[in-house]
Amino acid sequence: MKVLSKAKLTTALNKLNDAAEVFVPMQKGEQSAYYPWKSFKDGQDELMLEALNVYQSPKNAVFPQTEKMYGIKTEGVKINIDKTYEDPHPTIIFGARACDVKGIRALDDVFLTKGYVDSFYNARRSANTIIANACYEPGPNCFCNAMDVNPIDPEGADVILRDTGDAYVWESKSEKGEAVTKLIADLLEEKEVKLPEAKPFKQNVDYSGVAEKLKSMFEHPLWDKLSEPCINCGACTYVCPSCHCFDIQVKMWGEEGYRFRTWDSCMYEEYTREAGGGNPRGAAKQRFRQRFLHKLQFFTERYGTPLCTGCGRCIIVCPTKINIVKIIDAVKEAEING
Amino acid sequence: MANHEHEAGHKCTCGEQPLVPTIVEVFDIKDRTPDIKSFFVRNVDGKGIPFQAAPGQCGMVSLPIGEAMISCTWQEEQEYLEFAIKRVGLLTDELHRIEPGQQIGLRGPYGNGFPVEDCKGKDMLFIAGGIGLAPLRSFIKYCFKHRQDYGKITIIYGSRSKADLVFKEEIFDLWPKEPDTEVFITIDNEEAGWDGHVGFVPAYVEELNPSPNNTIAVICGPPIMIKFTLQALEKMGFSDEQVITTLEMRMKCGIGKCGRCNIGSQFICLDGPVYYLKQLKQLPPEW
Amino acid sequence: MKEITKKIQEIATKLFAEGKIDVFLAWEQEGELDFETKAYVARNTEDVKNIVFNEYSIYNIANTLLKFRDTQDKIGIAAKGCDSRGIVRLLEDLQIKRDRLYIVGIPCPGLKDPLTAARNYGGLGKKTAEEGLAKKCLNCTQPNPVIYDELVGPEQTPRQQGDRFAKVKEIEQMSADERYKFWEDTLSSCIRCYACRQVCVACDCRTCIFDEMKPQWVGRENSTTDNMMYHLVKHAHMAGRCIECGECERVCPVHIPLMLINQKLIKDIGELFGGPEAGMQYVEGSKPPLSVYREDDPDSFL
Repeated sequence: MKVLSKAKLTTALNKLNDAAEVFVPMQKGEQSAYYPWKSFKDGQDELMLEALNVYQSPKNAVFPQTEKMYGIKTEGVKINIDKTYEDPHPTIIFGARACDVKGIRALDDVFLTKGYVDSFYNARRSANTIIANACYEPGPNCFCNAMDVNPIDPEGADVILRDTGDAYVWESKSEKGEAVTKLIADLLEEKEVKLPEAKPFKQNVDYSGVAEKLKSMFEHPLWDKLSEPCINCGACTYVCPSCHCFDIQVKMWGEEGYRFRTWDSCMYEEYTREAGGGNPRGAAKQRFRQRFLHKLQFFTERYGTPLCTGCGRCIIVCPTKINIVKIIDAVKEAEING
Repeated sequence: MANHEHEAGHKCTCGEQPLVPTIVEVFDIKDRTPDIKSFFVRNVDGKGIPFQAAPGQCGMVSLPIGEAMISCTWQEEQEYLEFAIKRVGLLTDELHRIEPGQQIGLRGPYGNGFPVEDCKGKDMLFIAGGIGLAPLRSFIKYCFKHRQDYGKITIIYGSRSKADLVFKEEIFDLWPKEPDTEVFITIDNEEAGWDGHVGFVPAYVEELNPSPNNTIAVICGPPIMIKFTLQALEKMGFSDEQVITTLEMRMKCGIGKCGRCNIGSQFICLDGPVYYLKQLKQLPPEW
Repeated sequence: MKEITKKIQEIATKLFAEGKIDVFLAWEQEGELDFETKAYVARNTEDVKNIVFNEYSIYNIANTLLKFRDTQDKIGIAAKGCDSRGIVRLLEDLQIKRDRLYIVGIPCPGLKDPLTAARNYGGLGKKTAEEGLAKKCLNCTQPNPVIYDELVGPEQTPRQQGDRFAKVKEIEQMSADERYKFWEDTLSSCIRCYACRQVCVACDCRTCIFDEMKPQWVGRENSTTDNMMYHLVKHAHMAGRCIECGECERVCPVHIPLMLINQKLIKDIGELFGGPEAGMQYVEGSKPPLSVYREDDPDSFL
């Protein structure tokens, strides 16, 4: 096995950072997210590779909150699109947990398949390498195993790290993985180590049959009760590793400007508001229902796997303590009339 | 309905960058009603058009201020694409202020289009309300262009008032003269100078009672009109496989990525907007 | 607290039985973990047994009132000090009528933040130290309800100690450049999720200015300019109206110290206009200072 001693971690990160922008899970003050390694302030910030996960997901590396698309210049009646802002600079996500890797694979399904390839996402994703951090001790809110995710062998990772206490086993899984392995080859030792024991999940979530059952539950009264506390704030959609809805808007100063896209949320009232004033999801309950059906049924129908990755972030961040696990349970227990 | 797959030789503006528009020129604008104008679009060099629009397909029209998905009401050979646009919002407001010669952004073609092949040999019943005639017009003109492929053509069209009827030359003059074609017009309320039918479209459809025998009904209009017309057609014996309609939702990307226009697991911009009633009934009732 | 829970349940049961209310707004603990406490709408005597008042009943229940502003329901509501100021806010803004409400006032001993507890329990990021009272409760100036039909529980002492505006004054002392840098850094982490807006009781506009497109007042780009504009405009709309419940700061997923902006406004409005602070007392027909025009209004800030 190839092993990277934790003592050499900083050196490894620095070497990787020479070749690409490396995103690591970090605690900065009160916030925790995947920040660029070069922004790490010794003494102030803390690497969170040994924590279960961080508050925000790494999807920002391939799907940033705000992204310029193309420049627009007008001159009289003429419009000119002078440049497009695809950004192929290489990035590495270091230490992503299996749930977050699934999130990025879900984004791949959305942006790279079904007829069109989104050029902006494609540019970033092609230059992106995922070094995953195998998860041997699921947290109390974790249920990735119910969502098609293998926490100790995340599919789609280019390299898998396995934390043995004082070192990481470094397992390259793909061509991209080989490429980054070469960058730190001299830091890796060849030796046999004992892998950690995979601890069981603390909660048992059973998703089987849910997508099928939800097909006939669109008008079911349980949505009234479940959606009652929801204040449509959007926090859940923004910390979710697989939420991908976006808005396209423009910034113009007189005759020059650019079109950009930004994260959007199905929770907002104006999300589906049409120009003529009609709104198919004007009521909070309809938007609430849309979010959970998208995660648990629509995406499964379209792409064969649920959009939820089982990371548990939404459960922690919701101000009114709405819990997707409880919703799955409620769906399973619900009675369907004829 | 097939998804939009890139076949060899497939010509659309998207190329490698599906979200970046092509710049085209609006070389002519015609007023159709007080709030609807037709915009005639071709390449900036005056030669040809940016993409081929099958009947029922749409384009994402843009000015710097924003983008909007508009159905292409007709493609005239390789000369121009015509978009009939109603003034309802931010972008359409500004579009109604431009003059011929203005350049705009355009990307497409989007959407699955009408099933023109499957309908061959059938009698066609087109039912439209207000601006809803614009998307249907591409199918209607296609039928006239390939007249021998289709049977009897019946068009039932209604709008708020006489002034709000679109494509007046075609509905009053040209289309009724086509072989084996009947055109029925109605307006919502009585009005001086109008001696035609008065009443809402769904009621007029029931009154005319067209036969469902070997007929396909294609409907487009405001959601409430579609709802009641579907009920009327069902009463008259049309099966779910004989009725086609086009849906609308707010759209941003037009390529099934931004998540906004979904009804169930279908993206209206990509998998739709044209659906048989049979398919619609399998979707959540959000339309 | 169990005592208070019992009392609230008794009152709610009585009100339902007498047909005096259609719904009762309080909190419930949905699950075995005590921090799984959330807003709850009880609709009949059956539901009453789910009502709790525990040390995590921190959510400002007045926000739930907004869901009922267009209905005809008669509403019973359990309200702490901050919640009751929220109710006054809605009464003053004419969002709800007093005769629809039966307010059970709870003098609040200070509560804990369930979001912090959830984060520690869930294992995300660094564990915070000892779980004490929530930050907003440590600064509380009004634990006792300012409006109620009935009180349950003994009167509480305000917990705020020392200079209430100490942190605000610290920032006021900075030079303009230093201040700009401070806010630029602080607001750069904003992800524009709008949780602060949704949880705020005083944000009761039917169509929020940030949802308008014709024209669009603030862009949605996650840039310094747009982020600053969002916060400046949102909190400026709170001037003279913010009831200092601290929910905005509590629910922010990136922990932006939003109360600093609100406290600065409270300090300024206090100095300029005097009078009771927002939501402190309900007098029918009263309006927040910036909603009233008087010839002798201070205008030094113009």
